[in-house]
Amino acid sequence: MNFFRGVMGGQPSGPQPTGGETVQRLCDRVASSTLLEDRRDAVRALKALSKKYRLEVGTQAMAHLIHILQTDRSDSEILGYALDTLYNIICNEEEEEQDMLASPSIPVSGKRRNLPVPEDNAQKQEEDLGVLFTEKFLKDPESVMLLLTLLEEFDFHVRWPGVKLLTALLKNQCSQVQGVILVSPMGVSRLMDLLADSREVIRNDGLLLLQQLSKGNAAIQKIVAFENAFERLLDIITEEGSSDGGIVVEDCLLLLLNLLKNNSSNQNFFKEGSYIQRMKPWFEVGDDNSGWSAQKVTNLHLMLQLVRVMVSPGNSPGASSSCQKSMYQCGLLQQLCTILMATGVPADILTETINTVSEVIRGSQINQDYFASVNAPSNPPRPAIVVLLMSMVNERQPFVLRCAVLYCFQCFLYKNQKGQGEIVATLLPSTIDANSISAGQLLCGGLFSADSLSNWCAAVALAHALQDNLTQKEQLLRVQLATSLGKPPVSLLQQCTNILSQGSKVQTRVGLLMLLCTWINNCPIAVTHFLHNQENVPFLTGQISENLGEDERLVQGLCALLLGICIYYNDNSLENYTKEKLKQLIEKRIGKENFVEKLGFVAKHELYSRAAQKPQPTFPSPEQMLFDHEFTKLVKELEGVITKAVHKSSEEEKKEEEVKKTLEQHDSIVTQYKDLIRDQDAQIQELKQQVSTLSLNNEQMQAQITQQQSQIQQHKDQYNLLKLKLGKDPQGLSSQGDGAQVNGLNTEEMSQLREEVEELRRQQTLLNTQLSDKDTLINTLKSGAVVVQTVEAGTESSANRELLSELEVLMSRVQSQGSEISQLQAERQELIRRAEATASAAPPSSGSSADATEVSDLESRLAAQTAETERLKEECRGLREGCAGLEQQLASAQSTVAVEQTEKAKLQQEVQESKKEQDDLLMLLADQDQKILSLKQKLKDLGESIDEDEEDDLDSRDQFDEDEDEEEDNDD
Amino acid sequence: MAYAYLFKYIIIGDTGVGKSCLLLQFTDKRFQPVHDLTIGVEFGARMITIDGKQIKLQIWDTAGQESFRSITRSYYRGAAGALLVYDITRRDTFNHLTTWLEDARQHSNSNMVIMLIGNKSDLESRREVKKEEGEAFAREHGLIFMETSAKTASNVEEAFINTAKEIYEKIQEGVFDINNEANGIKIGPQHAATNSTLSGSQGGQQAGGGCC
Ligand SMILES: Nc1nc2c(ncn2[C@@H]2O[C@H](COP(=O)(O)OP(=O)(O)OP(=O)(O)O)[C@@H](O)[C@H]2O)c(=O)[nH]1
Ligand SMILES: [Mg+2]
Repeated sequence: MNFFRGVMGGQPSGPQPTGGETVQRLCDRVASSTLLEDRRDAVRALKALSKKYRLEVGTQAMAHLIHILQTDRSDSEILGYALDTLYNIICNEEEEEQDMLASPSIPVSGKRRNLPVPEDNAQKQEEDLGVLFTEKFLKDPESVMLLLTLLEEFDFHVRWPGVKLLTALLKNQCSQVQGVILVSPMGVSRLMDLLADSREVIRNDGLLLLQQLSKGNAAIQKIVAFENAFERLLDIITEEGSSDGGIVVEDCLLLLLNLLKNNSSNQNFFKEGSYIQRMKPWFEVGDDNSGWSAQKVTNLHLMLQLVRVMVSPGNSPGASSSCQKSMYQCGLLQQLCTILMATGVPADILTETINTVSEVIRGSQINQDYFASVNAPSNPPRPAIVVLLMSMVNERQPFVLRCAVLYCFQCFLYKNQKGQGEIVATLLPSTIDANSISAGQLLCGGLFSADSLSNWCAAVALAHALQDNLTQKEQLLRVQLATSLGKPPVSLLQQCTNILSQGSKVQTRVGLLMLLCTWINNCPIAVTHFLHNQENVPFLTGQISENLGEDERLVQGLCALLLGICIYYNDNSLENYTKEKLKQLIEKRIGKENFVEKLGFVAKHELYSRAAQKPQPTFPSPEQMLFDHEFTKLVKELEGVITKAVHKSSEEEKKEEEVKKTLEQHDSIVTQYKDLIRDQDAQIQELKQQVSTLSLNNEQMQAQITQQQSQIQQHKDQYNLLKLKLGKDPQGLSSQGDGAQVNGLNTEEMSQLREEVEELRRQQTLLNTQLSDKDTLINTLKSGAVVVQTVEAGTESSANRELLSELEVLMSRVQSQGSEISQLQAERQELIRRAEATASAAPPSSGSSADATEVSDLESRLAAQTAETERLKEECRGLREGCAGLEQQLASAQSTVAVEQTEKAKLQQEVQESKKEQDDLLMLLADQDQKILSLKQKLKDLGESIDEDEEDDLDSRDQFDEDEDEEEDNDD
Repeated sequence: MAYAYLFKYIIIGDTGVGKSCLLLQFTDKRFQPVHDLTIGVEFGARMITIDGKQIKLQIWDTAGQESFRSITRSYYRGAAGALLVYDITRRDTFNHLTTWLEDARQHSNSNMVIMLIGNKSDLESRREVKKEEGEAFAREHGLIFMETSAKTASNVEEAFINTAKEIYEKIQEGVFDINNEANGIKIGPQHAATNSTLSGSQGGQQAGGGCC
């Protein structure tokens, strides 16, 4: 303080130094003092002046202060003063700053950021200064890096002002600071550590810093999430008491919103991290509702918004639906519905809850079904839908609440045919339950009540029950309304047009016209019903042709749209109101150009594009409640086609019809082609399979053939052996011829006889030799024949037959393949012919080019298939050749076998013959033996003695002969 | 839904090597033929089973383009596993591996498991980097290696699962500090309670493991 006094008031005699001079002197001191204490005092003094002389301190001291941050790293006190000073000159928010100075803890008010900022001049100047000094600070990106390193300093006096300074910098020059932090190594990660600081002030200001840091920067948002921000923030929220917690909870929620809004990657991470489940307990707000503090309302509001961010209709459908699913599974939807039906919930929370429930169920069948089953805890219990609709058509309810209910109803019916059917059913005569209030009753009541807002809401709600649902459009035609007693009931359609013609409020008429357009759109029966009432067309033409004021323009446009639909979806079943007649009517009564201009009023309306943006009905004021989101889609879809339809002459129309037809034909041809190709694909697949089995068969057969060939070779060898053996036989047989002679009986004859006996003996020996020779031969032959027979029986009869039958199968497959291929070819030819025909016949309309590409695509596929077929054919041809070869081989094998068989027969016959000869010889031999015996006897009788040896001799000779025979065999 | 462990992965490597395609194939079983340049990072997740345990993989697919390098570096520190990808049909992507590895080693925690992946193995005809070269590089730097095709899905599952197996083993060995979430590992919500009792008997468990 001494130093301070010395600078400020130490020279009472001289002129008071200006602020600028003082600041300059302090800056010099900071720059030149070698003593830390001097510098510290100077910086402290600068801090004290920094608010009063913000401009001076900012312009003159900034560089010195940054220098201090670099050089005096070891003294946390001087660092603290320097950071505070920098904060004071950079920060704009006077109030907040004062708040913070007054009490270092965070203020409790939930309204802190909700205060409107007064836009007066002083404020503006302040802000300019802040931005100016921020830019100056950012000139050197190193300063931000320096600040980041200082934030790692644990000392409270450094860390806290550091956090505040960085937050202020971010507030003034967000993207630039974000950029520097993003490229500094681990910049974002280090800032995340602030959330772990045990000192609440720093943690809480860290939250504010991260809020600013993550604003609009997806890359930073993702890094923050990666650094476990979700986990930490959800933990803090729980620790602080969830919705009952203070502003810290609010800050956590704001940061969560920043991280998740429009960041699909983070949303996915949030969902995959099972954090949706952790939101459920937030909404367990008891029914006692003893206190709804402003902070609690704010917290719950943000919590609901967080749920909505995850299931926003703007998200990718897949992402939203998986979140919707887990919200149902973890019971979050159920919890929200409890709030919906609870009592004492503040209106704005109730409204936001309805909006949230809407988006949680939108387009999700399970969630919609659940919602339909929710009952209000009334006596008797009523469906939540009915209770909500009661509010929608109740004039005394707040406008935003009524809008929310309408949104909820729309979301309930969105892509929900079942729900649409249930709502329409409550209006049908057969299902009306007179005892309880139904959704249908409420909607009808709203439609015809005196309150135009109710009219509009009910009309739009009913239109949503018909959206894209032909069945319900037709069902609703059956609805009859009881009017005053005694009069016949009138149809709902009729009643709508009646009210329309009675000239009620614009809002009512707009609502009814939107309902009628949705109803009869794409539903020729409803068009006919509408046209059937003779008053309707004159009313519409009257409305359109009249020259009405600005207010009526929208109604005129909608009338034109309705009439246009009557033309476009006209099935010409009413003679007076055919397409043609209606067009003539337009030309006569309104004029084509005029009609189209009026039609254009709808989409040109100032509120149209606003409604087209998002499904939720939001309007600045009740009077501006005119357009429905779904309806804007319908307008977009119909405006063009109706304009065309009206401009077209009947001839053009006919042509158009034809073109349409040919296009349809074309389409059907294309589908035909596709089917054909699909069939061909399958056939090719099948053929491929066959080819592979055939080639397998082929291989097998080839193996069999080689086997058979070797067998044949074996046969041949055996046959040659036989032939060789047989070759010797004829010689033996021929030498046997003249062996036997008959001898005389006299004495003279004796010698002769002896000689003869000798001769006979010799001959017998010879014969014996030959006989045994023959015997062995016969034996070998016999065994050979058996072998031949068995071998032949084994191979030829079974294997050959197999081969043959397989060959036959193969052949027949090849044949069927061939025929299939030729069939394919024929089909292909046909396709090509048709493709060419359609290509030339295709009308030059816009659709045909797409078709042409499709056809060319098909053609190229056909070409590919042809090539494939060609290849298959080639393969088949190869196979066929293989088969022919096989057949040839088989034939030759067969002929060999045949030759062998005849040869074998010949051999067998020869064997037979030689056997017979042998038998004859044996007979002869026996005869001769007999003769010899009788001769011997005669000799005995004549007194001649016969050597007994002679007989033995005969035997021994026999034996000798046999030995000789054996030797002969061995010589072979 | 409930998992025993949660592992954080990053996928790194030059632009166009197929990082996003690998992730898409792993999470959605789809292939994306056009190069949809990744801006910054994209998140993906899937559950796998190892050793009968449900393990949740949270995967951050990073942009390969040089300009995003500073952003993607922020993801190294908190990851337990990294898939370092090159394109077998582009040698330059293989040549850059050293830079990638240095970057990863410098910014990540030392226990991070790195799987080297040679992607686009379906494009054999255009191959510029031999499989053996990839294997050698992996051996030299102590990485696991695999060739994959995000197009045919060949080895894609294996790449992610084998990395997880390696991390899982490291946990069993007590290398990872599972209570420090900065390591990219988290114990499942209902397992946390049982695990604290388990960790008490961990000595016994390890002894049992040692005797086998
Ligand atoms: N044939 C083939 N192409 C692939 C494979 N993986 C990726 N591609 C193609 O390679 C291109 C780049 O793939 P991305 O996954 O977008 O590349 P990236 O690594 O994510 O690139 P960045 O996001 O810029 O870092 C795309 O055209 C893919 O279709 C593969 O396994 N085989
Ligand atoms: Mg990518």
